[in-house]
Amino acid sequence: MGGGFEKPSTILFFSDHPTERRLFAEQFVATGLKEGECCLYVDFYRAPALARRDFRKFGSFPEDRLLFVDGTSSQFLIPSTERYVVHGLDTFDPIMDTIEEAVRDAKPGRIVIDSMEFLADRFPMEGVFERWRQLSEVAKSTGAVVCYLFLNWIYGRKEVQRMNDTNDYTLEFQSKLTTGILEHYLRIRDHRLATRSTNWIPLSFREVVGLSVYFPRILVTGPPDAGKSTVVQRLCQSAISVDRMGTTVAFDYGNVQVSGLEAEIIGTPGQERFEFIFQVFARQMNGVLFVLDATKEEDLVRAKQILAILGSDVPLVVLANKADLAGVMDADEIRSRLSLSPSVPVVATVAIEGKGLLEGLTVLAEQIIGAR
Amino acid sequence: MISGFDRSGPIAGIEGDLATAMESLRRLVDVLAVAVARRDGLIIAHLLPIGSDPKKVAAMCAALVGTSEVVARELQQGRFLQSIVEAEQGKVISTGAGERALLVTIVRPDANMGLVLLSIERAAKEVEVILSGI
Repeated sequence: MGGGFEKPSTILFFSDHPTERRLFAEQFVATGLKEGECCLYVDFYRAPALARRDFRKFGSFPEDRLLFVDGTSSQFLIPSTERYVVHGLDTFDPIMDTIEEAVRDAKPGRIVIDSMEFLADRFPMEGVFERWRQLSEVAKSTGAVVCYLFLNWIYGRKEVQRMNDTNDYTLEFQSKLTTGILEHYLRIRDHRLATRSTNWIPLSFREVVGLSVYFPRILVTGPPDAGKSTVVQRLCQSAISVDRMGTTVAFDYGNVQVSGLEAEIIGTPGQERFEFIFQVFARQMNGVLFVLDATKEEDLVRAKQILAILGSDVPLVVLANKADLAGVMDADEIRSRLSLSPSVPVVATVAIEGKGLLEGLTVLAEQIIGAR
Repeated sequence: MISGFDRSGPIAGIEGDLATAMESLRRLVDVLAVAVARRDGLIIAHLLPIGSDPKKVAAMCAALVGTSEVVARELQQGRFLQSIVEAEQGKVISTGAGERALLVTIVRPDANMGLVLLSIERAAKEVEVILSGI
């Protein structure tokens, strides 16, 4: 995450409620600093000294690469030691002149404006939109990627649409409290041609590591003896399995943490007699890794039964397991015999050696995130 | 009522032994039902009331015992003894009977648990011995 945005471009970090979007913007800057880019952070909320301290949690970087436009000193009537300083908040144009000057002068690779609503709440809308567009042009002419943080208090749907239209991407943040757990979501939209959008992606925030995609529940299921427990155990560093006599009688549980992706994995039993357990875990899930012994045609009957319980709405990837053995069915055959749509990915795996598993999980992550 | 057996060969004798072990437990006034299942959730034999599904009971209690054993281990609480599900109209007690089987006993809600648990322990040992022959 963090990469993948074309240069130059503008990104709107939008939310209706206070969320963790600033951490995302900081991560964006920290990534640039580590890659040796010069970054400009326009801050109306934090004194530059405080912001610099906050950035140190991402590790060391050359201090002179991180520049600030000091938007706070004048609010507190204290002198500033920064090169670029906003001298007053009474008139709008001089503020924007200062920012533009800093951009022209320093030619930073990445720019964060923290934040646009600070200006939008204080000055007439038309003027703000006009100078905003102008700033984007200046920044793009120097080859920069600009992040505009925007916490929406006052603007209606029409103005929000206008904001989206004038930026290349929108990162929309949402946080909601469900039964005592604060869940964070992000949706990325690309407005450059026709608008394309991802689904709402669940996220987790951690200090230092920053932000990663977080799936609270990935179900690993499939017919008996397909290798479900092996998949969970090989994917996760320390998995718990409740199995007896070679059969999972309750569940396997493990946690995966790879770069940018975190997930809780639950493996279910395959036998029909444990369907009551399956029902418990199938109530809520982000996606399914469907494990199939690709050498056993007779398993397809049970596989179809399980697929019927899962329904067709849930993101699904088939792991064609035991792919190292003779007589494996190929992806097309599996899809057609399970009556799956041609768009369902089938990944060949050798679970016992860990082969193909991370690929399968990544493909599933892409399915869940989606892009329309 | 005994189920889950092929009625030919040396296994036939075990059937009677299991029935005797279960019936001696069932004779206690507090005990309502008894079942013996494999650890992987298949039913071996049972004295369950008509209307209950022995297959389901076996699978559920295998999941219960399996999960409870892992909980005891993961929370560092030593060896698993039994799992007791307390409900309004009875308690379901599941315990291991050797490496490969488990014993499920359903008792009245106000049962004399001292006596019940002692009898279950004895019956579980009997079941273990009987099944070790096959």
